[in-house]
Amino acid sequence: MQRITFWFVPPLLLVAILLMPICSCAELTQTEVSESLICYACPGEPLNIDRCGGGDRMRADITRLLNQGKSKPEILDYFVAQFGDSILTTVPKKGFNLVAYTGPFIALLVGIPLALLIIRRWGSAGRRQAVERGATEPTVTLDEQTRLKIEKELADLDEEG
Amino acid sequence: MISFGTYSLIAALFFTLLSMGLFLSGLARNNVRLVQAGKRGLLSAAIATTLASVALAWLFLTDNFSVEYVASYSDRALPLFYKITAFWAGQKGSLLFWAWVLSVFIALVIFNNRREADDRNTPYIYLVLAGTLAFFLFLLCAISSPFETLGFMPRDGQGLNPMLQNPGMVFHPPILFFGYIGFTIPFAYAVAAMITGNTGADWIRKTRVWNVLPWIFLSIGIILGGQWAYVELGWGGYWAWDPVENASFIPWLVSTAFIHTAIIQERRGVMKVWNMVLIQLTFLLCIFGTYLVRSGILQSVHDFGATGLGGYFLVFMIVALIGGIYLLAESYNEFKTPGSVESYLSRESTFLFNNVILLALAFATLLGTVFPIISEAVTGNKLTVGQPFFNQVNTPLFLLLVLLTGICPLIGWRKASVSNLRRNFLRPALTALLAGVIMAISGIRELYPLLAFTLSAFVGATIVQEYITAIRSRKKLTGEASAAAAVKLLWKMRRRYGGHIVHFGLAIMVIGIAASSAYKLESQGTLRQGESLSIGKYELKYEKFRKYDKFNRTIYAAQLGVFVDGKRIDEMEAERRYYINAKQPTTEVALRSTLIEDLYVTMPGIGRGNEITLKVAVNPLLIWVWLGSTLMVIGGILAIIPARRKAACSE
Repeated sequence: MQRITFWFVPPLLLVAILLMPICSCAELTQTEVSESLICYACPGEPLNIDRCGGGDRMRADITRLLNQGKSKPEILDYFVAQFGDSILTTVPKKGFNLVAYTGPFIALLVGIPLALLIIRRWGSAGRRQAVERGATEPTVTLDEQTRLKIEKELADLDEEG
Repeated sequence: MISFGTYSLIAALFFTLLSMGLFLSGLARNNVRLVQAGKRGLLSAAIATTLASVALAWLFLTDNFSVEYVASYSDRALPLFYKITAFWAGQKGSLLFWAWVLSVFIALVIFNNRREADDRNTPYIYLVLAGTLAFFLFLLCAISSPFETLGFMPRDGQGLNPMLQNPGMVFHPPILFFGYIGFTIPFAYAVAAMITGNTGADWIRKTRVWNVLPWIFLSIGIILGGQWAYVELGWGGYWAWDPVENASFIPWLVSTAFIHTAIIQERRGVMKVWNMVLIQLTFLLCIFGTYLVRSGILQSVHDFGATGLGGYFLVFMIVALIGGIYLLAESYNEFKTPGSVESYLSRESTFLFNNVILLALAFATLLGTVFPIISEAVTGNKLTVGQPFFNQVNTPLFLLLVLLTGICPLIGWRKASVSNLRRNFLRPALTALLAGVIMAISGIRELYPLLAFTLSAFVGATIVQEYITAIRSRKKLTGEASAAAAVKLLWKMRRRYGGHIVHFGLAIMVIGIAASSAYKLESQGTLRQGESLSIGKYELKYEKFRKYDKFNRTIYAAQLGVFVDGKRIDEMEAERRYYINAKQPTTEVALRSTLIEDLYVTMPGIGRGNEITLKVAVNPLLIWVWLGSTLMVIGGILAIIPARRKAACSE
């Protein structure tokens, strides 16, 4: 019982704490839309950060469109029609832009097999060394006292490290 | 004082170049005394750079506006506190600060090694360090001197950008610089090892502290920058994936990978070439970050004026890159070693996968940061790559990294058996599963937050399990009480548990990031005095308005009562500040922070009759981001506290 309490109470407490502040925010806000847009007057500056007059006009447009019941994609389309793709903070997933989206995952697709290959090479070298060791070193069975002594010495070594 | 500063810089450059000459002569003639003289030359350069820094600080403190740099970043009304921080507010002062810190770090390396006999690596190490210092001193003496004068004395200076008049300015830039600059030390040791063909892990052991210390500084710098950006309206919250922010995050990721694989090289003697690649990459990325910030090729909300120095940094970077590749190619066969790992299921393998993910994250961030340039070159269309892109690409990679952070301590070195895995994985996996199921039942449906909470629970459970198991073993071995065993274990094996604390901090930070991003509440409204605005469980009542002058600014402040269920629990004050010499007012955030959530209030507008516009947000668990990141730093510090040399060594 004590073990169950030990292992399950902390995660339950963690979950309880996590749940406390959470509630869903279904209504689309101006900030959520402006996060995806760049201020047309200040190139490179996201609209949710920008504070210039041009940005104010864009924010007023967003509020107006939200009041008309437009969805986020519809509002973004409205701005893209006026200013082109460069008004978006999200790079559109088309043409050359796909390089930005796929690049990291292609790197991963190359990196993981490469890592597997390296481990395999380590493995074969390790096995070779083990065979060589096995041929020269006798197998020893340890009693409990010796095992504890070795553990202590390894711990001491770790402390020094 | 202006001439004193200028001559000090010239003297510093002279001593540095002289040292380089002495090291080269020492190498050519195989003469140790020349090498020692070279080290003394570097100490003299450190003293001269310190004097130049004192001179610049003095010019700021005495309002000497005949100096162009002082006139650009200070004015008479600027509080003393910010006059000192104005030292590194601009490019010229930052360069001097960089050169000064590097010279002090070099002096520290010389001091630390004072009892060790010089070996064949020594002149090469100091040559690399001196070469880097000479580059910065050359820029300061020939291209961008902070002691350049206007030729007349203006009545007042232009003042410091209001956004930089924040306590964050004291610590964030210098500490970030400590991180960037610190990586020069392990880089120099690595280059020396490549030149001399010293294939052992000596350079890693000798620079063990210098490998982690810059990482700690970089982490603290990033955290402080995040906290500053969180309370400074206009910087897009604690992390906006801005190019300047990314410039610090990319070397942090690569250095994190290096810290992990350096452990493998020390323990298992493998990954020698890989570690050389990683430390060179870290150093180059630090310089690249500086290049990004100073070249003006990318737009950033943290950009305070592009300079003409980008080209020099680019050339320095290219020279370092080509030199590094050449040395690596030359020494490759000597460093290449057969490994001795017996299985895919080993800690070495998880470290390798962790490296792949960290580098993929670094690559994704780098690609997103420079993509506007690439896109413009290829398609002629300069796009802006913002927060949504980075969140979309980096989140899955980051979650994979968290998963590996949990798995790693559960797998032993060399080879793990199936029974061993079953025993180690069962409890953490059950804990994570339970956490995930309960959260799903309670209404969390979004995949990424759900995964983030579940994986964080997994990481936390693995660390707690490992710690408890170790405490039990220690109790069995020593007969100590649980509390004593826990404390002693933490202290005596601080390298290992320092690492675990870093990982535990990461798990807490991930919870904070996931909750504050996915479950943020926002509201906005215009209020007259006496009116209220509701958000979540809170009601904010506009109670009072006042105007007053303080230091170099006029402040308009709105006092807000915070009510929950009709009961007044607190009050907050949102401000708009009008600084002397500033064209636009700034908005100061009012913040009420608890363990559960942050109530975040800004006042973007003041209308007729003191009518105010409020923007309010509730950010759940945001403080967990700071708590987790602080734990990461504490863990890092614990890991580098050196062990006392045992008397037993002499026995």
